Amino acid sequence: MKTANGTLHLDKRRAVSNIGMVVILVSFAMLFAALLLGYVVFRLTNEVWPPMGMQTVPLTLPFVSTVIIGASSLMYMNFEKSFNVKDVNNSKKYFFLTLLLGLAFMGVQFLLWGQMADIGLYVSAGVFPSLLYALTWVHAGHIVVALLALLLLVPAVFKDYSDEKIIWVQNIGKFWHFLGIIWFIMFVVMFVF
Amino acid sequence: MAFFEQHIHEEPKTFLSKYVFSYDHKVIGKQFLWYGIFFLGVGGIMALMIRWTLAFPGEAFPLIGQFLFPSTNGVIPPDTYAMLFTMHGTIMIFYAITPILIGAFGNFLIPLQIGARDMVFPLLNMLSFWLAFVSAVILFGSLFIPMGAAAGGWTSYPTLSTLLGSPGHGQTLWTLALFILGVSSTMGAVNYITTIIVLRAPGMGYFDMPLSIWGLGLTAILNAIFLPVLGAGLLLLLFDRVFGTTFFLAGAAATTGTGDPVLYQHVFWIFGHPEVYILILPAWGIVSDLLAFFSRKPAFGAKATALSMTSITILSTLVYGHHMYTTQMSPLLTQTFMTLTMTISIPSAIFFTNWLGTIWKGSIKFPTPMVFSLGVVFVFGLGGLTGLYLATVTTDLYLHDTYFVVGHFHYTMAASVLLGGYAAIYFWMPKMFGKMLNETLGHIHFWLTFLGLNGVFMGMMIVGYGGMHRRIYNPFVYEFLEKLIPINTFVTWSAILMGLAQLFFVYNFVHTIFFKKEKASDNPWEVGTLEWTIPSPAPVYNFKEIPVVKCGPHELGNPDLTGERDFQYQTEEIPAT
Repeated sequence: MKTANGTLHLDKRRAVSNIGMVVILVSFAMLFAALLLGYVVFRLTNEVWPPMGMQTVPLTLPFVSTVIIGASSLMYMNFEKSFNVKDVNNSKKYFFLTLLLGLAFMGVQFLLWGQMADIGLYVSAGVFPSLLYALTWVHAGHIVVALLALLLLVPAVFKDYSDEKIIWVQNIGKFWHFLGIIWFIMFVVMFVF
Repeated sequence: MAFFEQHIHEEPKTFLSKYVFSYDHKVIGKQFLWYGIFFLGVGGIMALMIRWTLAFPGEAFPLIGQFLFPSTNGVIPPDTYAMLFTMHGTIMIFYAITPILIGAFGNFLIPLQIGARDMVFPLLNMLSFWLAFVSAVILFGSLFIPMGAAAGGWTSYPTLSTLLGSPGHGQTLWTLALFILGVSSTMGAVNYITTIIVLRAPGMGYFDMPLSIWGLGLTAILNAIFLPVLGAGLLLLLFDRVFGTTFFLAGAAATTGTGDPVLYQHVFWIFGHPEVYILILPAWGIVSDLLAFFSRKPAFGAKATALSMTSITILSTLVYGHHMYTTQMSPLLTQTFMTLTMTISIPSAIFFTNWLGTIWKGSIKFPTPMVFSLGVVFVFGLGGLTGLYLATVTTDLYLHDTYFVVGHFHYTMAASVLLGGYAAIYFWMPKMFGKMLNETLGHIHFWLTFLGLNGVFMGMMIVGYGGMHRRIYNPFVYEFLEKLIPINTFVTWSAILMGLAQLFFVYNFVHTIFFKKEKASDNPWEVGTLEWTIPSPAPVYNFKEIPVVKCGPHELGNPDLTGERDFQYQTEEIPAT
């Protein structure tokens, strides 16, 4: 009887933090929507893009980033699944992979910034590089926050497992997948077209 | 209705956990109240300096002028003047009005009026206050750095706000402070929305919530959606200033490769117009409740009021272009924005009529909160109606950037929101601090403030109509404006009167909290919303037992009521006829 009550309590807590998390994600979505809107305005009002004879960024690195962040989302889904069924070994494995892929994404971002500087796209060289840098910076900033949030889960994954932590796992997961989706939109809008 | 069981918190023991880093929504509300009142004072003194310069150009500011501006012998220099109006606007909007209505009363009222023991995320709530505090320190500190604080107007349009227009660190700190404040407000909004959804007492449907909660909830929704848009604009401005990006440098992207200053205006006003409603919606909600309470009648068309506030919230997101008619927008676009803006007058008229319907044939009492609420009805009427001239493209082209605009938005934002905030302070004082503010001083405060503010803002509209531009250090260098000096002097004397009137409030407030012995009763105003069913001041845990709601918030003057009372608590059944 006690456990039934406990699960009920947990379900309700979960519903509450889900609502909170959705509101937070709406806020973050508006931040990126405003930035992307700025990008689209400049993109559509210019006949030649990129302007001033600048080079476009080669697709390779952004594509690698997309693959990595997609894979990390998949790993996180596996992690969440095994965490839910208390499969400790698998959840350790997939958690570690998610973290690793997240760090790899950041690494590729640094390579991308380096490459952009190599082909003359400096921060202050005009609005085209400004847009590329600003959007990727803001996104990378959020990735860093998400990585720190992942570290918050370390005790739950490696030491004391508890049902309560499922809520954390779910909400950090929402944020992680959200950043993946944002990156995919950025990839299509900024690098493909 | 409540999603989960709420435990009774223990009373914190130490000074730090009780008054400083408190998780209690009531304490956080009070912290925001002191914070807001402090900045109201700072912004008010800045306003007086601005007014002094306009009425008596070249004369030393009295009393503190010699101390603040020793290099010019007490006269306010032109660059300081630009700094003053920038910081006055920023401080009043983001650091005075927002904390008082949304920070203080949002925090204080939401759990109490919906029958909850606290906010749903108390830690987030505390962080929200302390982030706001950090932001205030940054902004206030920027006043004391070399080259001074931001001076590009409260809107901080580029190119005034890029490195070209504002060298030095003032503008950078302004941008940073506002960004942090935005994060803090978003945290608050997440908390408010979730709390209202999940923690309403059993039996309380959305339409059983007091209209104050409707106002605060809608505000929170706008905050959560639109503050990030401002955040985006501020981030880009910060990148421009710190990292040398070129978003807001003038020039066409195709030829010079730089961005466009007007982009900032779009981003700013996509947020900025909802911001107007972010500020006014809580005041509307509070006034709608208070008018019913003191007319001893149910709020007329309460459901329609709630729904028209909702439709205004939705419409407010579609009209931002009316701030930018003079940026060479396509006429098709200006007409569209004009039509959409005009549409807002329909729901506004509905709830305005509802206000009048509420007091119509009521047995009206006139304690201080009620006179302030009636004051809001008057000044908001004026503010709303003058808005029509600015929403119309043809008249706006003339009136844009004149003092008419200044008068208009002060009537809506400063006058209505300020009076609404005061009404709330006088009304909930017994529940917040357990003591009643002095009524006589309250009435003196109201009448002097009311006379003063109408003198100031009506005067501003007249000089604006006469063609006086805003933000000019000495407009009277232009011959055609010389005749406006007497009206400007009148406006300044009115502002001084309004400023002095606040001393009555400060004395009343401080005296009541720290020196008054007499305690207030649990329900001094005889109203039935949930916060009045518990002792004054509200205990740490708010409700010993979570209340069960059986009727709406405005059950006043029901002829079927038996007994002495002419109202019933929300926890009581409506008597059967």
